[in-house]
Amino acid sequence: MTAIATPSPASAATTDRLPGDQDVWIFIFAELLMFGAFFVAYIFNWVGNVEAYTRSQLTLDRSLGLVNTLLLIVSSWAVVSAVEAARGNHSRQVARLLGMAIFCGLSFMIVKAFEYTAKLNSGISILSDDFYMFYFCLTGIHALHVMAGLTILVVMFLNAREGRYGAQTTKGLETGASYWHMVDLLWIFLFPLLYLLR
Amino acid sequence: MDERTRLRYQLICAWCGPLFLVTFVLFWGVIANNIPNPAPSLTAEALKERYLSNLGEIRFGFIMSLITVCFYMPWTCVLAAQMRRIEGTEMPVLSYLQLIGGALTVMVVSFSAVFWVVAAFRPEAPASTFQMMTDTGWLIIDLCYACTTLQMVAAALIGLADKSKVPLFPRWVCYLTIWCGISFFPASLTGVLKTGPFAWNGALSYYIPYFCWLCWFSTASIYMIKEVRRRMVTSESPQASGRLAAAGI
Repeated sequence: MTAIATPSPASAATTDRLPGDQDVWIFIFAELLMFGAFFVAYIFNWVGNVEAYTRSQLTLDRSLGLVNTLLLIVSSWAVVSAVEAARGNHSRQVARLLGMAIFCGLSFMIVKAFEYTAKLNSGISILSDDFYMFYFCLTGIHALHVMAGLTILVVMFLNAREGRYGAQTTKGLETGASYWHMVDLLWIFLFPLLYLLR
Repeated sequence: MDERTRLRYQLICAWCGPLFLVTFVLFWGVIANNIPNPAPSLTAEALKERYLSNLGEIRFGFIMSLITVCFYMPWTCVLAAQMRRIEGTEMPVLSYLQLIGGALTVMVVSFSAVFWVVAAFRPEAPASTFQMMTDTGWLIIDLCYACTTLQMVAAALIGLADKSKVPLFPRWVCYLTIWCGISFFPASLTGVLKTGPFAWNGALSYYIPYFCWLCWFSTASIYMIKEVRRRMVTSESPQASGRLAAAGI
């Protein structure tokens, strides 16, 4: 396991293994499966009530949803670059890129908080209708995942500042990065499903 | 108590796991009419009618489940003992946490079933009483899951730190355990919602989290029984363990 986890920079890009701790992928696949069930439940309920869902969906702020999508994509790019920087032994750059990913993640949460506040102030809540029930449940559960992901990023940032990630020690970084990409991927499915699908 | 007797009791405790699983699904789930369970959107009158038309089954199922839920306790104890061996004898905090989590899980499951037994106790009571008791029972079991989550996370963390040659749980089981514990979180939404997949009769707050709980419980039971059996083999005479090893057991 140790041998697999600490590849040389040249072999890292060419091997077929999953990045990071192999067993953590069980957790990630299970998470994807759970959200898959959420998406199926949404579609299943949406099919019978397209008009009512569209009416409520039109009251969502698409531009804020788009901003959040871009924020998460940029953060994922920063995390990928951090892993690459670690493979090249550029430890200061790793910390800088992780800091950027954390900034994007926090911005996502702030935008989400504005979005929630605006809805609640205009009298819309989880109990308003079926669409908003799904909207608050799915984005709320996703936001919990963002917070968990941010905690992981902060731990990795602190480790990177102490120079703990290098070409031979990328396993932890790759594992955390995989989780963050999963959080990003889930939003990439959630955004069109909740904001765009009509 | 000699080693042989001690291990025999441990094996019995570990087998209480599968016994709990079977009796819980049978009494609490099938006989007490919890598969499917009553919808929170039912009117008080419809709910009362549901009780009255299945009164015998509901009483028998829940009363029996209140006895058999206690099989969870010996199982929790043997897991705590196995965890303590890995954690070390000084301040085994995670083993204690698992032990408390398991004990409280038994109380949460028991308390909720008591409310349903109370509802069925006086069939002449007004429909609103049935509704209040049913609501209370479901909200107890669905909102107080965190003690079980902590039990599971504690067991998983010990499993991940296990450096034994043959670990108690494989690493993938530990990660699956943490995920199963987290899968309960949507059940908190049952405190607000009365319809849809996140209500207490919905797929995402009932069927999936309960399945995950029992899935973890079954997987952990298998590895716990294996662990006790391994210890039984090694505690026997070196000659006997040598023979078993030669036979590939």
